[in-house]
Parts: sequence; C-alpha cells; structure tokens
Amino acid sequence: MTVKALPNSKKISNRIPRDRTEKIMSVIAYIVMTFLALIAIFPCLHVISKSVSTGTAVTAGRVLFWPVGVQLDTIKYVFTKTDFFSALKNSLIVTVAGTAISMFTTITTAYPLSKQGFKGHRFITLLYVISMVFYGGIVPCYMVVVTMGILDTYWACILPFAIVQFNMFIVKNYFEGLPSEVEESAAIDGANDVRTLISIVLPMSVPVLATVALLYAINYWNNYFHVMMYTTSSSMRTMQLYLYDIINNSQAFAENLSNGAKGVGNYLENITTEGMVAAAVSLSIIPIIAAYPFIQRYMVHGITVGSVKG
Amino acid sequence: MDGIGKKKHIGLGKRIHLFFVYVKRHPLLYLMLIPGLIFLFLYKFWPLYGLQMAFRDYNIFLGANPLDAIAKSRWVGFRWFEKLFSSSDFTKVLRNTLIINGMKIAVLFPLPIICSFLLNEIQNRRYRKFTQTAIYVPYFFSWVMIFGMFYSLLGNYGIINSAIVKLGGERVRFFTDLGIFRWLLVFTEGWREVGYNTVIYMAAITGIDITLYEAAKVDGANKWQQLWHVTVPGILPTIVLMLILKVGYILNTGFEQVLVFYNPAVYDVADIIQTYVYRIGMGRMEYSLTTALGLFNSIVAFVLIIGANTVSRKTLHRSIW
Repeated sequence: MTVKALPNSKKISNRIPRDRTEKIMSVIAYIVMTFLALIAIFPCLHVISKSVSTGTAVTAGRVLFWPVGVQLDTIKYVFTKTDFFSALKNSLIVTVAGTAISMFTTITTAYPLSKQGFKGHRFITLLYVISMVFYGGIVPCYMVVVTMGILDTYWACILPFAIVQFNMFIVKNYFEGLPSEVEESAAIDGANDVRTLISIVLPMSVPVLATVALLYAINYWNNYFHVMMYTTSSSMRTMQLYLYDIINNSQAFAENLSNGAKGVGNYLENITTEGMVAAAVSLSIIPIIAAYPFIQRYMVHGITVGSVKG
Repeated sequence: MDGIGKKKHIGLGKRIHLFFVYVKRHPLLYLMLIPGLIFLFLYKFWPLYGLQMAFRDYNIFLGANPLDAIAKSRWVGFRWFEKLFSSSDFTKVLRNTLIINGMKIAVLFPLPIICSFLLNEIQNRRYRKFTQTAIYVPYFFSWVMIFGMFYSLLGNYGIINSAIVKLGGERVRFFTDLGIFRWLLVFTEGWREVGYNTVIYMAAITGIDITLYEAAKVDGANKWQQLWHVTVPGILPTIVLMLILKVGYILNTGFEQVLVFYNPAVYDVADIIQTYVYRIGMGRMEYSLTTALGLFNSIVAFVLIIGANTVSRKTLHRSIW
C-alpha cells in the first residue's frame, strides 16, 4: 500500500508548494501559543499590578496588567497590620526543615533499594507501593497526629509528608541507572556503603536531587489543607492559611481599617479590599517566581526522568 | 521469571542464611532504611488501623487518646454503610465527584496534546522556550494562590465584572452561580495543569526517532501528514497512559481545589466525596460515618487504580510504579 502510494503523493507534493501546510501550521502555532501564554501570565501580572496601583484605580476597575499610579501603602499595610511576617516565618521553617528531612529520608530509602542484589528489596518496595495505594483517610490520619501529640507543632506540618513515594522512586530509578563500576571500585578501596553514597553516588546525582528537592519544597510551601487540619493556633498559620484568611475576610479588614484609622488621609485612600487581596497573593507568589529559573533548569529534565522509567 | 524459578530450588534455610550473610556485610544499608520505615508505619500504616471506626460506634471520649478510643468503641457491623448508602448526601457527593472530574477529563485531556503539537511547530527556539515556560508557571502555584488570583479577576468587583458592568451587562457571580461554578473549577484546573502536561507530551515527542520524520519527508508527507503518521503514533503510549491514570484517579482528584474554591452557596453542585468527609467528619464530628465513606472511596479508587495499572501493563508494558 505505502509503496504504491508513494509516487502519487510525490505528485501531490509537487503541485502544492511543499511548505504551505507548514506555514499555516506555524502561523496557527504562533497565534494559539501566544494567546495561551498570555492567559497564563495575565492573572499574575494583574494581581501584582493591582497591589501597587492607587485605590481609586483599583476600585474603578482600571487596572489591567500594568500598575495605574504607583503606591506602596497597600503592601506597607499588609506588612505592618497583618500577620504576614509570622506566616512567612512559619512557611520558611516548614519548607526548609521539611525539605531537609524529606531529602534525608528519601535518599536513605532510595539508596539501599537501588543496590543490585540488595536482599529484601522486593519486600520493602512492596511496602512502599502498598502505602501508595491504601489511604487511611482524612479522619484516621488526623487521629494519628493527635495521638502522637504533635498537633499544632511544626512536626505536624512536616513528618506526615516526609516521603512522597513517587519522588522516592524517581531517585531510586536514577541511582539504579548510575554505572555500578565506580561504586564497586570504591568498595574495593575499602569504602563502606555510607561513604560510597556520600562521596560517589550523591555527587553524580545532583540534577535529580535538585529536582526532587524542588518538588518537596513546593509541596511544603503550597500545603494548605493538612496544615489547616493539623494546626489550631493562629501563631502557627503558614502563608497559605494566612492568604486564605485574607481573601475570605478582606471585607472585615476593610471595616477595621475605616473604623480605626480615621484621619490618616492619603494613606487610607489607597487601601482597598481588592488591593489587599492582590498584595497578599503577589507577596506569596514571589518565592515561586524567584525559584523559577531553578525550576526551569531542573524540572523539565526531572519530569522526563520520572516518566521515562515506569 | 527465571530468577524466581531458580530461587525456589534453594532451600528456605539456605536463603535465610544468605540473607544474614548479606546483612552482615552491608549493615549500614539496613540501618539507612529505618527512618523511612518509621515514617511509613507511623503515617501510612497506622492510619489504616483507624479504618475500624467505619465498623464501630466511635466515641472519642472513651479512651485515653483518639486511637485508644477505637478499641473501646462498640462494633456495629455495617450500620454506617447502610446509613450512608441510603442517604441522599451520598448520591449527591458521588455524582458531583464523577461529574466534575468527568468534565475535567473530557474538556482538558486533549488540550496539552494539541499544545505540544503546536509548540513543536514554533521554529524560533527562544520563543518556544518562552511560551512553554509561561504556560508551565501556574503548575507551581497553590490552589489558595490561584483562588486569590481568580477572585481578583472574577469576583463581584473584579476586573471582568467591572468590564461587564461598563458594557451594560449584569454582574456574573462566578463563585456562587450553580450553573457556572463547575466550569470555573474546570477552567482553573486547566489553567494550572495544561502547561505541565504539555511538557510531558513534549518529552515524549522529543523521544521520537528523527529519521522517521526524514523518511516521511522523503516520501513527500507534508507537515499535517507527518503529524498524523509519525508524531501521533509516536506518543500514543504516553497518551493512553495519561488517560488511564486520569480515569484511575477520578475519585481522588480535585479535593484541595474544591475545598478552597467552594462556599455554602454551591455545596449542591460542588461538594465532592472528600470535601464532604472533611466537612461533616471534622466539622460535625461524624467520625464513623465519614470514615465509612472514606473507606468506600478508597476501595473503589483502589479497584480503579489497580485496574488502570493492569490495563497499562498489558497494553503498553508500562506500570505506574
């Protein structure tokens, strides 16, 4: 069939200029992808612009994706009159400590499992697979946290998420792909398993470790539901909880403002509920935007690593 | 298969002996596993013990701690399940879960595939990288941040409603309108996930042998024919795998998104299984009833996921884990 069709299709391609469909597709591609890129970026630009635009411009709905008349009163208000820094501190502690703990447990689990001939490999792997499939549920998980006495502590925001099984398997697969000769020669030189791991395996695995560390960090930074469940006092609130409160209580904030801060004049004019929400959102997305070059560098690679080996 | 067959010939005693020889030679490897195993038993397996609540009349005040109280509560058999299956709430949340996640699959599943094709047609490398980066950013935002952004755009005094009013229309209540709310969930899900999934398909396209395209060009295939006869067959396994995963996880996705976005006005169309478990279980302390619902959810999800994995392994020779 294909052999017979060959001369025929050549004729067609001679009649139609070869690059015509190519041109059409290319034009469509540029238009559609530009449009989608704008849709993706627009909400971010909008909230950032809103947070620094004047109060009147915000209320009148004149702010699109560029600030209208710059002011920093709203951000100053968010910094000084809300729990922003307390939430930021909590989020940073949870993210930094959590990522460190997660990387430690992930590496120490992945390394033995990646070793060729490791006895008990099948059983341990099975335990992790089982834990991926069977989920105790929201209520039982909460009861475990309460029973352990870690409710309302940083531990409750970290320990239940110490290992994401999927991440652990990414690292394990990567370790398995490393050439075993180097490790063997180290073993002959008398290095024990921990030494081999630290001085040989880890330096060879920087890209995948960076990817997984990033995945963990984002997981901790973005964790909303579990932190809400496992913490009770307002001093333990992280950025996500703080942000959610701001969005839902922005009306109350505005009332407080107009009751308490009469006569501040210009300062007050610029602070609107809309602007407050925008400022809080903008401030919370900044760390992610700041981490973006890093994400861009390692993440695409990381996804590929994860999806190539099943 | 051969390895297993061979092992069977070695006696059990010999195997245990070999195991201990290995442990003696590599004690550190086994020590390393301990932190992970402690985590696994405390936070993954211990909660499974709590599932008994579904079969008991759980009273949190019976024991020294919430888990101790489980063993002291009375067995009631399938009472909670009977109560659950006869309640109208159950049918409502199950239906909402299937409708919302079904809409997401139907509308959003093809988009990243199309995007990856289009992205591939952009010849300018820097511009391609820029658009890919741009659509990929939202994946790293939490649902709360996304809620904040879309509240800013679509809220009653957001920019969209301001524009609608200026043009002489009525304000659209995106967050409380029963007809619109599910589409809001679909749209924001797409806004967050399409870029990420596009990258996955892009990776699959990169894996296609370039000589296939050259051969197609020699045969006189135009871009459209190349796409249809080389690219599509090349990434078909990835497409099927992604679809299987989406269907397998249909009961388990979307929880945090709905939890953040919804409000009492839209409970009727947006309350899914897990939000219901959280709201009724934690809020009204209906621990046993909601554990029963959670268990039902887990069992169905388990069957779906195992089924999906089996299909994937049989047809594509690829396993999810």
